[in-house]
Amino acid sequence: MKGKQSLAKSEYKRKDNIAGYVMLSPWLFGFVLMWFLPMVISIYYSFTDFNLLNEAKIIGFKNYIRIFTVDDTFRQALKVTFVYAIFLVPLRLAFALFVAMLLNTKHKGLGLYRTIYYIPSIIGGSIAVSIVWRQIFGNQGVIMSLLSAFGIVQKHSLLGNTKTALAVIILMGVWQFGSSMLIFLAALKQIPGSLYESARVDGAKSWRIFFKITIPMLTPTIFFNLILQIVNGFRVFTESYVITDGGPLDSTLSYVLYLYRRAFNYFDMGYSCALAWVLVVIIAVFTIVLFRTQNNWVHYESGGDD
Amino acid sequence: MVGMKKNKLNSVLFHFLSCTVGILMFYPLLWLFASSMKSNETMFKDAYSLIPEVFDIATNYQSAWEGVGGVSFLAFLGNTVFVTVLGMAGCVIISLFAAYAFTRIKFKGSKFWFSCVMVTMMIPSQVMVVPQYIILKKLNLIDTRVALALPWFFGTAFFIFMLVQFFRGVPKDLDEAAEIDGCGRISILFRILVPVVKPALVTASIFAFYWIWQDFFQPLIFMSTPSKYTLSLALNMFLDPNAYNNYGGLFAMSVLSLLPTLIFFIIFQRYLVDGIAMDGIKG
Amino acid sequence: MKNRMKRIAALLLAGTMVFSMAACSSGKSGSKDNETSNPSDNTTGEATVTEAQAEPITIKIAWWGSDKRHEYTQQLLDLYTELNPNVKFEASPSGWDGYFERLSTQAASGSMPDIVQMDYLYISTYAKNNSLADMQEFVDSGVIDVSNIDENILNTGSINSKRVGIPLSTSILAVTYNPTVIEAAGAEIPSDSWTWDDYIALNTKVAQATGEPSALVSIIGPFGDTNPFSYWVRQHGGVLFNADGTGLGYEDDAITADYFQMWQDMSDANVAPDPDEQSQLAAVGKEALPIVTDKAATTVEWNNFTSVVSGVNDKLKLALMPSSSEGKGLWLKPGMFFSVSESSKVKEECAKFINWIINSEEANDIIAGERGTPVSSAVRDYMMNSGKMTEQQVEMFGYVDKAAALAGETPAPDPSGIAEVNEAFAKAGNSVLYGQATAAEAAATFREQVTEILERNNAAK
Repeated sequence: MKGKQSLAKSEYKRKDNIAGYVMLSPWLFGFVLMWFLPMVISIYYSFTDFNLLNEAKIIGFKNYIRIFTVDDTFRQALKVTFVYAIFLVPLRLAFALFVAMLLNTKHKGLGLYRTIYYIPSIIGGSIAVSIVWRQIFGNQGVIMSLLSAFGIVQKHSLLGNTKTALAVIILMGVWQFGSSMLIFLAALKQIPGSLYESARVDGAKSWRIFFKITIPMLTPTIFFNLILQIVNGFRVFTESYVITDGGPLDSTLSYVLYLYRRAFNYFDMGYSCALAWVLVVIIAVFTIVLFRTQNNWVHYESGGDD
Repeated sequence: MVGMKKNKLNSVLFHFLSCTVGILMFYPLLWLFASSMKSNETMFKDAYSLIPEVFDIATNYQSAWEGVGGVSFLAFLGNTVFVTVLGMAGCVIISLFAAYAFTRIKFKGSKFWFSCVMVTMMIPSQVMVVPQYIILKKLNLIDTRVALALPWFFGTAFFIFMLVQFFRGVPKDLDEAAEIDGCGRISILFRILVPVVKPALVTASIFAFYWIWQDFFQPLIFMSTPSKYTLSLALNMFLDPNAYNNYGGLFAMSVLSLLPTLIFFIIFQRYLVDGIAMDGIKG
Repeated sequence: MKNRMKRIAALLLAGTMVFSMAACSSGKSGSKDNETSNPSDNTTGEATVTEAQAEPITIKIAWWGSDKRHEYTQQLLDLYTELNPNVKFEASPSGWDGYFERLSTQAASGSMPDIVQMDYLYISTYAKNNSLADMQEFVDSGVIDVSNIDENILNTGSINSKRVGIPLSTSILAVTYNPTVIEAAGAEIPSDSWTWDDYIALNTKVAQATGEPSALVSIIGPFGDTNPFSYWVRQHGGVLFNADGTGLGYEDDAITADYFQMWQDMSDANVAPDPDEQSQLAAVGKEALPIVTDKAATTVEWNNFTSVVSGVNDKLKLALMPSSSEGKGLWLKPGMFFSVSESSKVKEECAKFINWIINSEEANDIIAGERGTPVSSAVRDYMMNSGKMTEQQVEMFGYVDKAAALAGETPAPDPSGIAEVNEAFAKAGNSVLYGQATAAEAAATFREQVTEILERNNAAK
């Protein structure tokens, strides 16, 4: 990586530098205003006892020390979030890709299906969703009735059981696969039909076409969706906030829900900022690792980024 | 003959599968719609039923139309449209420029700035909102509609990263050929790249539309005058767990506020179909 | 090299900006000229406020509520402007969700509205950080007339000897019961002298008849917040929190354990909801509680509950809390406050408005008890005699007088950190119901956690 960069340095052209920064400048302006300055401020807060109402006083690394030494809830929330991300990411991606493939065929009514499959993502985390999910997975819900019809009587419903509640939350995450599906769909549309035609002329079987053409051509999108879902998985908030509010017994308490409570309900903004930056580091580690691996498996028609 | 039969079977299977999954997807919306027709008094007596025991469509939708907090539904709608259109336009265009710079121009610091893009995606917005509030206040933008579009207007990490990935899927010989023909960067971007990544742009616009449309947390913090509220804030004004709540009006307004997103999606999703791909250009 | 210098310069610049911004977060100096409460009063300046009869004044006011409250509060503001043409309002109505998130963010940048509706849950935290103005001078000068307000309830707005909130309404814990359900099960209607044993017996009988849990505690359950538990502790001769808000105010963990045990027994016998059923109840509003839909017999609630749900079920009745005569368990709780922010430039005008809200008949004609039982006994009498009240409201008002006679001293306002304490309490209680801890273990854990939370929040820094 380093060698590449220093090698490239000499190749920068003045004209390119100017063009690059001109094209980037609108984003850069917004970045400094809406992201960079707030980030610096929040890093500053993370070293203070800021509670939103007081005059922030610098307390050194105390917040960070508290996170790693005494905070049991932090550990619980981290565990929940890891489990959520580990299950959600592959499930949602596989499902999204499967449905996208299904919808990339030539059938009647595709527009309708596309719309319907996208609805869960539109409807998001409203009360309607929370009530309906309870209706399915709650103690008077469909699943419980089904189980008892088969003679399986449970003391707790899937949502009320500390061991299974998170699974329901993950399922809800998978259910909202619409965005990933659309991105896959867009990528599938971008694959030149000529590639398929020549493969078909050569007599290739459909599974072979899938693995030799579709998947490699999709790798940039798979990579994108993978990174995106990992980031979103670690930042999960709405699902556990709306459906279970972290319960029962913190079994669905996500990391961001916890830091939200710290910030606004417990008046512990400094600490919450520290939690946020710990999370950023965790996500960044995963992202960097993935970016490092992409040369091995992601296929760019443009020939990579150098 | 056999082939046709197989096709038909395929089709039936396809529709059966799609419908089953579809009902699961559709159900909450159906529930919401049904509840928006129930009378407030019986709303929760038959909460789990899709067919209202007592219909009260007129009251609910009238109350939704009249709005909340002395502001009408149309005013909320107007605010939401303003913020969404402004935010979406800026977001898509500026992200497009940034993505182009990151993938097609070799400039100093591009890797650094790209990692900055990625970091903005990782930081939880819950801790960004207070500093953002302080900055917007310095700029005298608190409690303005512009403040709601601002976090989107200058592009977001999601779109930049997505378009970067799509651009990288487009062979460079396409734009190199155009460059030899004497095209400038802007015309390469708009004449060569944009048509190829059109499905991605449509997708981006769809996302941007509904994300800004239902954006809740930042608007909640930034706004304090109801006449400038967006629909998601208006919906929030209905509920106080310790008071008598007008759920009928709330659900009716939810339905009304979902409609534009749905319509927008239905209109634009057809452009996903004719992703022209690179054939035309290559061939 | 040149580049690096540039980068450092940029960082330094950003750094100074950040600190100048962070510094403004205190908002307590009171000398911020860019934060006048009236955007149009560039000409009026600051000294005019006290003699402002003719000067145009703008008061920013924020409250939470449902759409009904937004509607009539706007009417109130309009009426006040009609009566005092120089006073205009900028209103910020809000739902409950997000109200305090926005308020604390505004406080962080020194721009709180002038008048804010304040909850018992958070008033200590805001007071401790000097975000709220001391209104004592306006009480002393008679701008705010408190002569008809019970001393106990008035003093709930007094924190560290500063009068940071004027209570608007009173609530007292009560058992709301459903006579229809009780009669159908052949049980006896609760009397004012009933005990916890009677309470359990009644609900057991009803639950056996209906097959559904009957002993409810609002939508949040017996561990949803610490109020019902506070009643329990006071009944057993303690107080929930000690005077300086640094820990529990009672010594014997058996009190906590007994409370947990009582609910566990009821929950196990399907007399009270298990945590699973409880979260089901919490997902929908109070209107959907089984007691309202004629499926349960009782719920522990504030005394305004029958009035709140009267649109759905107008048959519900109020009874005293079980064993009310033992100990002095009951207390007058402030329903909500109006507070004035420390950064406000129009404190006296705010005080006048608050006085009008709590004492005037015309204002209370409009409010019509929606914010709870009015604090002023004169207003209560006026409304009782006006003949405009619903049956539920008459009972709600009457309950205050009946229960006040049995009530003990109102405890000090909840200490800051209460939201976290509530969370710890819920977790401790539910861990018992889930069989993950015995009642005694959970009680010990609760004490340990509360001590840690309250010391962190309230220990002298």
